[in-house]
Amino acid sequence: MTSHWEDMENADFILTCGSNNAENHPVSMKWVNRALDKGAKWIVVDPRYTRTAALADIYCPIRSGTDIAFYGGMINYIFENDRWQHEYCLNYTNLSYLINPDFSYDPETGLFSGWNEETKSYDQSTWGYQTDTETPWDTETTYAWVKGEGVPKFDTPVLKTPKKDPTLQDPNCVYQIMKKHYSRYTIDAVCNICGMDAETLEEVYDVYTQSGEPGKAGTILYALGQTQHHYGANNTRIMSVVQLLLGNIGVPGGGLNALRGEPNVQGCTDMCIMPADLPGYLHWPTSDGTPSLKAWCEHETYSDGYYTNKPKFMVSFLKSWFGENATFKNDYGYDWLPKVYKPGNWTSMRTFEHMAEGTMHGYFALGQNPAHSSGNTKSVRESLAHLDWLVCADLYMTETASFWNAPDMRDKAADIQTECYFLPVASIMEKPGTILNSGRLLQWRYEAVPPAEGTKTDLEIMDLLHKKVVELYKTEGGVCPEPILNQKWDYDIDGKVDFRAVAWELNGYRVKDNDFSKQKVDLLTNFTELAADGSTACAIWIYSGYYNNAEALMEPAEQPVARRGHEDPGNIRLYPNWAFSWPVNRRIIYNRASADMKGKPWNPDKVAVEWNGTEWIRNDVPDFAFQKANADGTNTPIEPNNKAFFMRWEQNACLFSTNGMKDMPLPEHYEPMESPVENLMNGSQNSPLIQFADDPSVKKGTKEDYPIVATTYSITEHWQTGQQTHSCPSLNESQPGQFIEISNELAAEKGIANGDTVRVWNNRGDIKMKAMVTHRLVPLTVNGETVHEVGMIHHWGWAHSFEQDDVTNDLTPNVGDPNSFIPEYKAFLVNIEKA
Amino acid sequence: MAEQRYLQRHHKQTRVTHAIFVISCIWLMISGLFVFVPQLSAAAGADVAQFMRVTHRIVGCIFILTPIISAIISPSGAKHFLGKYGYKWDADDKEWMKKFVPYMLGPKRVHMPDAKEVKSGQVVADGAIMVGALMMMISGLVLWLGGVFGASATFLSVARLLHDIFFLLLVVFVIAHIYLGAGIFQPYKRSLRTMWGDGKISESDALYHWGKWARQEIEEGRVYEDKK
Amino acid sequence: MSEKAIYFDSSKCTACKGCQAACKCWNNLPTPYELNSAGTFTGTLQNPPDLQPNTRIIITFNEADNGKKYGVNWAFGRRACMHCTNPACVSVCPSGALYVDEETGLVTYDSSKCIGCQYCRSACPFDVPRHTNVGLTGDNIKINKCTGCVDRVKQGRKPACVSTCQPGALQFGDRDEMLAMAKERVEYLKGKGFADARVYGETEAGGTHVIYVLKYPLSQYELPENPQPSGFVDAFGILKPLTAAAAVATVAGLGISYATGVGYKRPTMRYDEANHDVVDAETGEVIKHIDREAGEL
Repeated sequence: MTSHWEDMENADFILTCGSNNAENHPVSMKWVNRALDKGAKWIVVDPRYTRTAALADIYCPIRSGTDIAFYGGMINYIFENDRWQHEYCLNYTNLSYLINPDFSYDPETGLFSGWNEETKSYDQSTWGYQTDTETPWDTETTYAWVKGEGVPKFDTPVLKTPKKDPTLQDPNCVYQIMKKHYSRYTIDAVCNICGMDAETLEEVYDVYTQSGEPGKAGTILYALGQTQHHYGANNTRIMSVVQLLLGNIGVPGGGLNALRGEPNVQGCTDMCIMPADLPGYLHWPTSDGTPSLKAWCEHETYSDGYYTNKPKFMVSFLKSWFGENATFKNDYGYDWLPKVYKPGNWTSMRTFEHMAEGTMHGYFALGQNPAHSSGNTKSVRESLAHLDWLVCADLYMTETASFWNAPDMRDKAADIQTECYFLPVASIMEKPGTILNSGRLLQWRYEAVPPAEGTKTDLEIMDLLHKKVVELYKTEGGVCPEPILNQKWDYDIDGKVDFRAVAWELNGYRVKDNDFSKQKVDLLTNFTELAADGSTACAIWIYSGYYNNAEALMEPAEQPVARRGHEDPGNIRLYPNWAFSWPVNRRIIYNRASADMKGKPWNPDKVAVEWNGTEWIRNDVPDFAFQKANADGTNTPIEPNNKAFFMRWEQNACLFSTNGMKDMPLPEHYEPMESPVENLMNGSQNSPLIQFADDPSVKKGTKEDYPIVATTYSITEHWQTGQQTHSCPSLNESQPGQFIEISNELAAEKGIANGDTVRVWNNRGDIKMKAMVTHRLVPLTVNGETVHEVGMIHHWGWAHSFEQDDVTNDLTPNVGDPNSFIPEYKAFLVNIEKA
Repeated sequence: MAEQRYLQRHHKQTRVTHAIFVISCIWLMISGLFVFVPQLSAAAGADVAQFMRVTHRIVGCIFILTPIISAIISPSGAKHFLGKYGYKWDADDKEWMKKFVPYMLGPKRVHMPDAKEVKSGQVVADGAIMVGALMMMISGLVLWLGGVFGASATFLSVARLLHDIFFLLLVVFVIAHIYLGAGIFQPYKRSLRTMWGDGKISESDALYHWGKWARQEIEEGRVYEDKK
Repeated sequence: MSEKAIYFDSSKCTACKGCQAACKCWNNLPTPYELNSAGTFTGTLQNPPDLQPNTRIIITFNEADNGKKYGVNWAFGRRACMHCTNPACVSVCPSGALYVDEETGLVTYDSSKCIGCQYCRSACPFDVPRHTNVGLTGDNIKINKCTGCVDRVKQGRKPACVSTCQPGALQFGDRDEMLAMAKERVEYLKGKGFADARVYGETEAGGTHVIYVLKYPLSQYELPENPQPSGFVDAFGILKPLTAAAAVATVAGLGISYATGVGYKRPTMRYDEANHDVVDAETGEVIKHIDREAGEL
């Protein structure tokens, strides 16, 4: 989330699209209801009429997988009806920037310029800006730190200021390119693709784009309904584009808000769950792009904005990882980090391919259940059978831990040679530590009860494992020992690994004279104190400041992360003294954009930051350079300027993405891998960069065999793969049995009655579940033809003790997105009959 | 004066059946009162109330099973029992019924016609008790087991209403039955022996109460010298 | 402590059933846990389908045509004890187990006093009370219904269902405040175009300590239009004094009868079976001749 949960109360317009927030994020409704009480309008766009839709002011159906068409139409509507926020877009975004004249897009082929058919990828050189001036770094003043002792040597960047046309007349300016690109997304074209009627669509466009008026805030709530497509990252991006055009990013009540499902999934993402990331979204070294620290600094350091500091984050990270073994001479141990070639090859989707190919022999699933939750789970289970060993650490028995016991594998279980281990772990109530919510709020949790007998915390499991590996390396030796043996690993307090010591590591500290074992640590106030000369260490720079009270190292309760203050400066639900949100306790990211060029808030009643003529009023922690440190220790306020997005080198937000996305600089509609219709917008049926589509395990189905669109989702009563909620009998009682939602019309066509058992199948799987026949789902008219869509929940499996049923993900495809590598769970084809 | 002779009014099985039925009926009335009169169970406390409730069910079973078992043991007795209540009333029987209330309030002046084995008034009074008992059994079973089989609240309410109404009926007729059967009413002195003693009745009393029956018994030789 | 009420706003309820689970947790109410035994899929999200011996609260689901092309009028309701001001269940309870908590007005009970007669269920205009251990033995049947978490309330806390409700559909406080809030909310909903929005519980069943804001017509919620204690309750009430009066009248009448019979004497009789004569045993006088040949008995 660019804002936070409580901020929804400040919204004037709420658009839920690709999320079912009332059901799957019940707490969101606390704040949405308050916004509605104050007069906000709420729109829900969803293939199904959900419990969320039931509460909204406007409901609009949509065929799964057509969100870019829906938002593309909205962008066209915004331009056609002049709903975009002029001052905001002209100053804070790249709307007026000039793009390389060689850039082009061809609707005939569905390809942007730079396509390489052989590598199936884009050369993005034509997607760049036209350069106005070039300014090298001033290493005497502003960037004097790069010359400091101990700072890695690298060629400093040159700021290439882009050409702009504030009149927006240049055909190569972003405005003209976008206007032309999205002019194809007319109301009729969108309805033809998405399936709703024009009247409803226009009402949605009209109401939501009213948030473009200065002083009005609109928020978009989304979740996996947007991301789980093979162009999911661009679904997300087109929403950012809409929000920027309407001036909704950075303002109280605005933002682009990903509602994270798993309580700590945001924390997981921060902690480099993706193979391309290091903690805090620094990029993992790659063998072709950043093989050395010098190359990394040159490749990653921005020419302007806050990411000019990246070498400081990286060196501090390496100091944290390798401790005193990391020195200037050995590039702080950079060479010991594995260099990844094409990180996407190591994401979860590809993992199972590696198993099947025999290149991956062991698998450690820590709180993860891919034999149930991955796309095309039948092929996942078959891949797992190729492993030599499998370790699962979980609260309850999972489908992954017992993959050999799947109904379709039981009979041949004796032939499976995989050695399986199950490690029972402590639950969140049985261990202390932090939990991080979608609003980036870190909160400390105390241990309520000690871990159940025979279980260990994740931390202890990892600690023991690491210590054992180190011991084996020391006694028996092994390949590539340096990365293992040179690590700093000193988190024991009183002879046992301790969460607090890990917290010091995450927060960061001054390296000099620190000694974890003696609890002598000079904690950093926050990441502004990080240095690139090896004097500071910090495992994840974005968290720095969450545990910074060096006076009470051993007392989480005395740390920012455990604060419990209710103060609300500005009365806009910021609650800055409640716990700690990264970065630096900022609640609304990009909050500079909440005020105009003179620093006056667009909405005077909702002040995040405000320039009062002499200095900045700061209800929230500013997300911009608001003051300059003087040599004498005092600070001079910085007057308002247009640098509202200083995490970008342009310091402006990108409506047009020059190099952020692998598949498209401007989001363009493509059909899901399995779709009932031809792509009506361009000549490429799927995104040209669809991942994994050629793998034989995908078994793509045709619309002739499988004419029904299916989507998967969660219900409020159950949770993910069900291990936790199916272990609560009262929750089983609140929704017994897995079901598929079917419209009355499709049910009549297939002779299915409410409550019947039905068979649902495609080339990948064949499962049975109960039918829920309802008018909440209606057939849609797509390109003149009736398209039926069904909705399937997915919380059941064979491993649960109290409730068992088939695994829905046997049907979902394992194709995915080239940026995020997320599988396409949300749109595929099936057929259905009464069982 | 010749030695008084006696007739066998009730056989042992009848007397035992009646005794068990009466004791369980009285216990059901007492234990039922604890549900019927909230103040009573409130005063007695939960343990007593709960005890009463549980015994109401156990004794209820005995109450229901006693006549059934008795009929199974002696089907001919059951047939006779039904026959002696189910006869066609003649002029005497009708007159008896007409004179019953005046008789109760002036037995010295009002004289009753001779009766058969069961007086017409007895048919009415005992019949009321029997019908009442049957309805109590049925409604009681519904109240008890209706919940088990998911009966609706209305259905249960109807059962409860019937249970209450027939309780009223039973209270009236059982009191009257005791008044007469125990011989508290002077003309009915010595009646208790027929059901709670050895089942015999003196020739004189038999001729008074059930003249037609008594004479037929004697004619057929079923009359005995007293052994006392 | 003043009169309290639970407030439920159906227009804010997301039907997440968190209240159902919280109620079960706080009140230690069990659920079957043999494999696939927790319930049967009934084609609806309303689960369990109704109150059960161990389920004191459910969220109800009802769909009606909304007159538009897409969607339905989907009503989320709450079904649990309404905590009537003059509760029929209390008036019929024979054991004094059910009672009105005087401080709060909540209708609660002392399980140890419950004798399991289940009269409360038949009396309740909302068909709320349920009973555990209903079975053949009839032993240890106990009432189970919402107590308003009076145990929590007395400690200054809110009922479990209220404190878990994230969207703020459930609130708890002084009854007059809850009522005022409900009326204000209904006006707001009417302004939004929900013409049938209404308050429920202000006067229904003599006023209840649960105040509902209903967004859609009443027929979409499992609530009676005009809740009256079952007519049987009156009949039950009448029968008690009637039975007492009948018993007294019977005894009195028989007393008079007894008085008239005191001193009653009659001659000892004998039957001469040879002559078919009924004879006075003392005088030998024939009282009556029976003409058996004529068919006399």
